[in-house]
Amino acid sequence: MNDAAPVALVTGAAGGLGRAIVAALETDRMSVAGGTHHGGAFAADLSDPGQARDLIERVVARYGRLDVLVVNHAAMTMAPIDEHPVDDWWRVVDTNLSGAFYLAQAAAPHLARAAGAIVFISSEWGVTGWPEASAYAASKAGIIGLTKALALELAPDVRVNAVAPGIIDTPQLEVDAAAAGLSLEEMKATYAAETPLRRIATPGEIAATVSFLASPGASFYTGQVLRPNGGVTTAS
Amino acid sequence: MERVIEPSVALVTGAASGIGRATAHRLAEAGYVVAVIDIDGRGAEAVARTVDGRAFTADVADTEAVTQVVHEIETRLGPIGLAISNAGVYDEVPLGSVTDEHWQRMLRVHLGGAFNVCRAVVPPMRRRSTGSIVLVSSELALAGSPRASAYVAAKAALLGLGRSLARELAPTIRVNVVAPGPVDTPLLLDRERTPQAIGTIPMGRLGRPEEIGEAIVHLAIAQFTTGAVYSPNGGTVIQ
Repeated sequence: MNDAAPVALVTGAAGGLGRAIVAALETDRMSVAGGTHHGGAFAADLSDPGQARDLIERVVARYGRLDVLVVNHAAMTMAPIDEHPVDDWWRVVDTNLSGAFYLAQAAAPHLARAAGAIVFISSEWGVTGWPEASAYAASKAGIIGLTKALALELAPDVRVNAVAPGIIDTPQLEVDAAAAGLSLEEMKATYAAETPLRRIATPGEIAATVSFLASPGASFYTGQVLRPNGGVTTAS
Repeated sequence: MERVIEPSVALVTGAASGIGRATAHRLAEAGYVVAVIDIDGRGAEAVARTVDGRAFTADVADTEAVTQVVHEIETRLGPIGLAISNAGVYDEVPLGSVTDEHWQRMLRVHLGGAFNVCRAVVPPMRRRSTGSIVLVSSELALAGSPRASAYVAAKAALLGLGRSLARELAPTIRVNVVAPGPVDTPLLLDRERTPQAIGTIPMGRLGRPEEIGEAIVHLAIAQFTTGAVYSPNGGTVIQ
């Protein structure tokens, strides 16, 4: 088994960023299992602890090992705090944050055997907060705490880091644009104008940060949050 | 300490002991009528007597119970000017031993407690165009800690909630976060009271609940401060 390619599980693999992460890890000669919400061999509702654990076991059963876990799936809703349906609020937190925890907990023994790594996808909004995005921002801030706690607990066997991207050019932007009553191009221009680099990120740019943290090149990184965000926030 | 000009109501969750109790005392000194909320009803009664406030029994993880208590406070004591979401529990559990129930309870008490308090107090505060909320997180949310993944994740999620609400509710309602370091409260483990543990704190001692209460009340009334995370931690986290 030692000479087999390292194995990565990427959740949210059908999304814009997820596809780019899968491609980047495959370029790094990893075998990648793509976790999805619907369809495919590795579909699961990750807000459900049983399904999250089962997903990890299915991947290990299929590939025989797990070297890298990339927790990239996310749910998103936007509403003022006092108008947000309570069930929806918790669906976002339980999918994003609890799902991240359940996966990491189930994967930890396998990752420790492989001297592997976890990369959690947080968000710039998890660092800075965002109006009417309290559930999403809380879940993504919680992921940063989870990153630091697990980095300390799983060291020196497993490295645990996070990526908190700024705005990315993915299909999710169409949802943002519709919510803001803008065209897709207007939405991109609005975000670009707020960003010192004067554009939004490509999925590939964010995936490059993820694959770096998963790679031997990042062997002394743990408990860190890398923030490819075009300079939109320079405060730490 | 400056006293408030108009008598105003402050609610504090987890106010039967530790930081919550000290905060209730500080608020009373500052002239607030204090609503002392705790899952321990008798403990809340005892504190309410000493601060000349009123006790309410509620599990902050229960959305309906918190909504009901906030309604009662508004009806019986008057308009809530300050809300301090402080209720919490602490337990060290290695990752492999964290049960689904433990994870869920940590998230529902810390993050859910804050969410429930904010949801309930924001509409009346918005109607009156004034209000201030302080969420009590932890220094461990800033730096992480082993064997406390559920606690740290829940306390870190509070940072995202607080910062989002600060942006969302400005300029009407201010929202800030206090992230205390090791404080001499019932939640502190015996291991953290040893001379070796205290030796790792640059200030050479544990924080006193009164010091954290002071910080909470300061942030609660600082009129130009919103979205701040203030960590009185004795130098345990220096960023």
